[in-house]
Amino acid sequence: MRNSFLQITKGIFVFTLLVGMISACQSDGKKSSKTEEEKLVESASQPIDQQMMEDFNKSKLIFYSLPSPLETAMLIKRSGARYDEEILNPISNVTKYNTNLKMALNLGIYSADLSYTSLFDQTQSTIQYMACAKKMAEGLSIIDAIDETTIKKLEDNMNNRDAVMEIISETFMNSNAYLKENDRPTISVMVLVGGWVEGLYLASSLTNGSMENNKRLVDRIIYQKLSLITVMNLLESHSNNEDIQYLHGKMSELKSIFEQVKIVNTSKVESETDATNKVTTIKADSETHMSEEVFNNLLKKVKEIRSEFVS
Amino acid sequence: MKHRLNSRLSGILMFFAFLLTFSTCLNAQCLSFAKKIGKPKLENFVHDGNYNATILGAGETAELYKTFFANQKYRIALSKIESLPNIHFRLIDEDNNILFDNKNHGFVDVWDFQVESTQMLVIKLKVLDDYNDSNGDNKGCISVLFGIEKEKKKKRN
Repeated sequence: MRNSFLQITKGIFVFTLLVGMISACQSDGKKSSKTEEEKLVESASQPIDQQMMEDFNKSKLIFYSLPSPLETAMLIKRSGARYDEEILNPISNVTKYNTNLKMALNLGIYSADLSYTSLFDQTQSTIQYMACAKKMAEGLSIIDAIDETTIKKLEDNMNNRDAVMEIISETFMNSNAYLKENDRPTISVMVLVGGWVEGLYLASSLTNGSMENNKRLVDRIIYQKLSLITVMNLLESHSNNEDIQYLHGKMSELKSIFEQVKIVNTSKVESETDATNKVTTIKADSETHMSEEVFNNLLKKVKEIRSEFVS
Repeated sequence: MKHRLNSRLSGILMFFAFLLTFSTCLNAQCLSFAKKIGKPKLENFVHDGNYNATILGAGETAELYKTFFANQKYRIALSKIESLPNIHFRLIDEDNNILFDNKNHGFVDVWDFQVESTQMLVIKLKVLDDYNDSNGDNKGCISVLFGIEKEKKKKRN
């Protein structure tokens, strides 16, 4: 009797474990509730072919792709912004972080900083910031994402920006993948949020508080309103975690300011495909508006949140 | 009795360890799949570093939300394990306008996109299920990677 009870218990345990593991493989972006984007898609009046819509209504997997630290650094560089070492999270701060939340946020933050330094060919700083990212990754027990070989590869390619970007992108993917695939998606979300906030902080600091100095950069900041929707959805899909709830609160504060920023498509979105060169151009006119007051509030809020993250 | 309980417990723990290793190995294959099969398709575009890969089967779907920034050229590279049918993907805007459909281009898996004004767009993808899948449980890694065009090098005088 006791034997069969034990066997049943064991069976249930193993079955639960198996189901848990299989779902963990695919649960990174699972739909848990209707997101703002889903509502947008569902509320659209234009019919799309029925079969495809039915398929996607059954869809179980969603990826929320935030601009990565590398993409954000590229956007900053291409807007004509300069390099300013003073605004980075000091490397001396690296010893301060000892909770999962702080280590994850600062893995994202140091990844953004090292992307920024690399795009401006600040090779020594890139190596130092990679070492900081490595320390954070080690603290989070992310195995093999950044190791001594990575640092050595960086040192060997110091004068080759393309190779340096390649190394940075690889380490970011390694950390991201390791966390997602080892059933730690919440830590992965914290890293992404840390990196995104740092990108926003760098961009907003580089405006020097003026909307006129670099209009392209201000434009990039305005459009982060769209990425913030993705950030919120990403956080909402893991909302049962306390640290995620804290981040959701912070991002909601930012959202209430971004809600006063207007982005409007003034024409229909159309596309033009060049099949020979395999490229599609999406054409749409859009207008944006942000008042001086909202801009200042946004800068202040970003600074406040970022200070909290790096403290 | 105590000995038998201990041996059962260690059996369970060993099974747990096996499952954990098995599951990690399966997943790790998706990372190495994305690196070895997906990334080279980006060619001279810089991979943005985001990892979008998972295990899907025939007929299953996924969606990816991404902000495309103006004046950047993006390359999307979809990859799947050989035994899976083709992947059908569409790029749509918030009003459900289909901006690109790879069905019209022989289910091509690599395409470039550029936007004139920054837009949040959705990539909807489906592993086709019109294949003769003998056992009906064909599943495997798929990856969706994005590359960004590098800055053109300025000529030095």
